Amino acid sequence: MTVMRDTVVKSLAKITVQGDENGLIPEYEVLVNLLPVSLLNTFAERIMAAAPPDKKAQVEEGLVRAAYECGYHTGCGIITSEIFNDVVMPMVTEGEKDILRGAYAAFTAWGWAKSGIVQLKEGERMVIRAFDYYEADGGGEGLRGYTLRGLSQAFFDLAYADPYPDGMDTHVCHQTKGIEAGDPYGEFIVVRK
Amino acid sequence: MPLRLDFTLDPETYRHYLNGHLVVMHSHHYLALITRLVEDLKDMGGPEILRDVVEETMRAVFDDYIQKNSLSSAQDKCNVGREYYSVFGLGKMIVTGDENGGEVRLLRSHLDEGWLKKWGSNAVPVNHFTCGFVAAMFGAAFNKPVKTYKVTEVASIAAGSTESKFVVKTS
Repeated sequence: MTVMRDTVVKSLAKITVQGDENGLIPEYEVLVNLLPVSLLNTFAERIMAAAPPDKKAQVEEGLVRAAYECGYHTGCGIITSEIFNDVVMPMVTEGEKDILRGAYAAFTAWGWAKSGIVQLKEGERMVIRAFDYYEADGGGEGLRGYTLRGLSQAFFDLAYADPYPDGMDTHVCHQTKGIEAGDPYGEFIVVRK
Repeated sequence: MPLRLDFTLDPETYRHYLNGHLVVMHSHHYLALITRLVEDLKDMGGPEILRDVVEETMRAVFDDYIQKNSLSSAQDKCNVGREYYSVFGLGKMIVTGDENGGEVRLLRSHLDEGWLKKWGSNAVPVNHFTCGFVAAMFGAAFNKPVKTYKVTEVASIAAGSTESKFVVKTS
């Protein structure tokens, strides 16, 4: 058996989170937050628009970096969590490849991106396609899938770089297509740095 | 009056909604790094951009809830912001004041505690996010236009205080 994507998505999508008696959401070894997408997209649009040409790359890198570190640390918590262990791990027969498949099912289930792996050369290269992702709704110019870039890079590092927490910044993700730019889907390619 | 929470899921896109607003999960790493990004971009107004975006977008969420639930008292309307803050996992706040301003104390804070976990104590307050959130909360409570309230963080968990404190004044 390999990871049955639809089963995983349907199981994980049922999970909702909200603050506890302290107004915090301690899950997956981090503090989780739940924020309106309008806030995240408007912030990305405004901060990019405000940046002068010589700072746009720095701002873009900052947005990707936020998602990358979030994905790397939270991702480790997710793939070692009870729910991942219960729902995904029983279907894992192909090691890291299946864990990555499970991770993209989680991305879909939790509303980050309806996305999946279309090509994978283990430890070297991965191509992701996303047919719905919240950043495609935001305004601005150019390709703007900052979150999925950061998350894809993070999960590839978790799967194929040195074991957590020593494998950071081993791979990089580039976006090559975007719904926000008129393409039918977003495409993201992860390669070794 | 406790906040009514209606979590829904679009079965086609798997997008998640809370009270009709599209929401998504991130972690303290994300919000801490967004905060650091705006701190690094002070010369181009980074902190102000974050505060303004939070005020405008949260205000829309609060106003929508207030309208749909026919809330009329300032206390009930202010409570919407206070409770949303906790539901969103942002922490626990105590609010005092009136339409001329007031004070907000954070007993717990996602951003500040996340900052401490990630980098340790900071020399100065950094919770620009909550400044915008509090401005939206007061604006919604007293039915004032966006940017009516100026919020200043005068004590900060991230900077070593046991509680964070925000002073709210009309601008």
